[in-house]
Amino acid sequence: MKYQTQKIALAYFAVALALFAVQVLIGLVMGFVYVVPTFLSDLVPFNILRMLHSNSLIVWLLLGFFGAAYYLLPEESEREIHSEKLAYLQLGILVLGTLGVVVTYLFNLFEGNFLLGKEGREFLEQPRWVKAGIVVAALIFLFNVSMTVLKGRKTAITNILLLGLWGLALLFLFAFYNPSNLALDKMYWWYVVHLWVEGTWELVMASILAFLMLKLTGVDREVVEKWLYVIVAAALFSGILGTGHHYYWIGTPGYWQWIGSIFSSLEVIPFFAMMAFAFVMVWKGRRDHPNKAALLWALGCATLAFFGAGVWGFLHTLHGVNYYTHGTQITAAHGHLAFYGAYVCLNLAIITYAMPHLLGRDPYNQVLNMASFWLMSSGVVFMTFVLTFAGTVQTHLQRVMGEEYMAVQDQLAVFFWMRFGAGIAVVLGALLFIYAVFVPRREVIEPGISQPAE
Amino acid sequence: MTRDPLLLAWAGLVTLSLAGAGLSLVPAGPVLSLMALSLALLKGRIILHRYLGLAHAPRWRRGFDMVLAGFCAGLAGLALLI
Amino acid sequence: MSDLLDELPGEPMMWVLIVSELLVFGAGLAALSAMRLTDPAGFAEAQAHLHRAGAALNTVVLVTSGCLAALAVRAAQSGREGRKRVLLVGAMALGVVFLVIKGQEYAAKSAQGIDWETHPFFTFYYLLTGFHAAHVAAGIVLLGLVAVLRDPRATETGAAFWHMVDLVWVLLFPVVYLIR
Repeated sequence: MKYQTQKIALAYFAVALALFAVQVLIGLVMGFVYVVPTFLSDLVPFNILRMLHSNSLIVWLLLGFFGAAYYLLPEESEREIHSEKLAYLQLGILVLGTLGVVVTYLFNLFEGNFLLGKEGREFLEQPRWVKAGIVVAALIFLFNVSMTVLKGRKTAITNILLLGLWGLALLFLFAFYNPSNLALDKMYWWYVVHLWVEGTWELVMASILAFLMLKLTGVDREVVEKWLYVIVAAALFSGILGTGHHYYWIGTPGYWQWIGSIFSSLEVIPFFAMMAFAFVMVWKGRRDHPNKAALLWALGCATLAFFGAGVWGFLHTLHGVNYYTHGTQITAAHGHLAFYGAYVCLNLAIITYAMPHLLGRDPYNQVLNMASFWLMSSGVVFMTFVLTFAGTVQTHLQRVMGEEYMAVQDQLAVFFWMRFGAGIAVVLGALLFIYAVFVPRREVIEPGISQPAE
Repeated sequence: MTRDPLLLAWAGLVTLSLAGAGLSLVPAGPVLSLMALSLALLKGRIILHRYLGLAHAPRWRRGFDMVLAGFCAGLAGLALLI
Repeated sequence: MSDLLDELPGEPMMWVLIVSELLVFGAGLAALSAMRLTDPAGFAEAQAHLHRAGAALNTVVLVTSGCLAALAVRAAQSGREGRKRVLLVGAMALGVVFLVIKGQEYAAKSAQGIDWETHPFFTFYYLLTGFHAAHVAAGIVLLGLVAVLRDPRATETGAAFWHMVDLVWVLLFPVVYLIR
């Protein structure tokens, strides 16, 4: 760790990983509710679990991004973070908001209250006071990182990262606009939900991935930057009008079906480019970096993001297909692998890279960390396949044959059991990861003193 | 007569465009479709080679030519199914 | 790999954009061609409302404008700033002519009570030609910008965008206006 203020990242990563544990545990509970629907139904209904599962995911990913920014900006711009105090204040506000959200959801407090009650818009359920807190925290963050970058060295990585983070914060403002016309409500709602994950977050992802490749493979910065610009151009070109793939059936004009189909089909390109980028860099790189686990997570991120976001997204993005598959388990399959591949793996990659520096240790226990990668990733991939099959059967029975929703759900039970099993693997993998980055102080395998003689 | 490749390219494009305008007189059918797409392919190649300068980048020119020809062939296939 | 990139004339990022645009318009034209098979008579009937002569004239306008832009790049590279500006203003003026003719075409449709919901053909017609016209407008602004900058590379990049707009139009013309 070259700069003292990089230490800020440790607090962010710790909170992020705690929320990660909460998120996957709630996910596991939900997986069980799918097979035993009465489980907890009086205490914590499924819709509340769903809110907690998706909200905690988004919050911990964002905390991870913030942590990553605080970690990599000093190294990139070659100066300390503008204000350490503000960074911790920002974290404090976000933690307070998160706790407020959890309490409000669980006990359904202040129902209907303008300021304190939950808003009831999927993913943007947070009460208004929390949303305002998020904006304040975002402003603090943007001020802090922008001041750091403005006074320091500007690189393509810092430029793209800041562009992504500014865009992310500005688009969140649409969370406050809630027109009473349901079609318009949904239209603006996607400005946040879609333009985050298929726009600004991709910029954050590309820049963090570029930083990792720069450090782990030792490829020239010039080469990394060329790739970065191409990826970002492709992401914005396809992602912005790709929003149209959410406008097929919400009451927006029909031309969105073609705009959405065409542009969102191209969204696979930036993800393919990121995968190609990661593998070409590793192949060309001369550096043999000791942190193999971080490299594994970075490559896993690029690969699984391509399949989850790119391929599984394309599967049901054409409006002719989506007419049948809309809102089935196909969507759930895509959502799980896309979020895991693109953003969970990305955060775990930067955490795996940064932790040894933050804790002042050797690349700690890489064997356990890599085991957690394989366990978690196989779990999510298996879950994705199972849900894809479930979704295919569901689409046929429900949308083609016209059977009742609940009657179809009964016939999917075997898939939901298998998904629950996959969920157990994911939870174990997540816990193993958290243990591997925080607890062991020494590598289990002695670092080789010399290469064995051939 | 000029030998400037840019002006020759322009003359070629205008000639092909006028030929395209003449196609509005041709009755609908496979002949019209194939002729219209052939003219488009020729015009596209001139723009790529001369205006965009791919004439000096043989590997890229080959790639673009192949994809463009394939695309026009695909459109022709669809047009012939009408 | 990097020498292959060096072989590409002009700014590589502009080529990324050109390829992306070609993919979008290509997909749109392919989709129109495929949808036409579901209702050939209806598409032909709808297409009969288009003004083919105006569109053909517009092709000549655009390719001439493209030639002026290409000549402007050459002028910029040999340091003749004045000539470059005159040529670019000429290219922009022809771009405006294209938009005026296009505008008349739209106005005529509107007078006949035709909009993008009248028939699937018109959805494609307005999407494709509308997107294209938006690119013409953007291209005019871009050419104006590079006319001011004293940088031959910028001129080349701006002109490359303009040629892409040309290229899209010559591919769009037969599919939208002629084939039936």
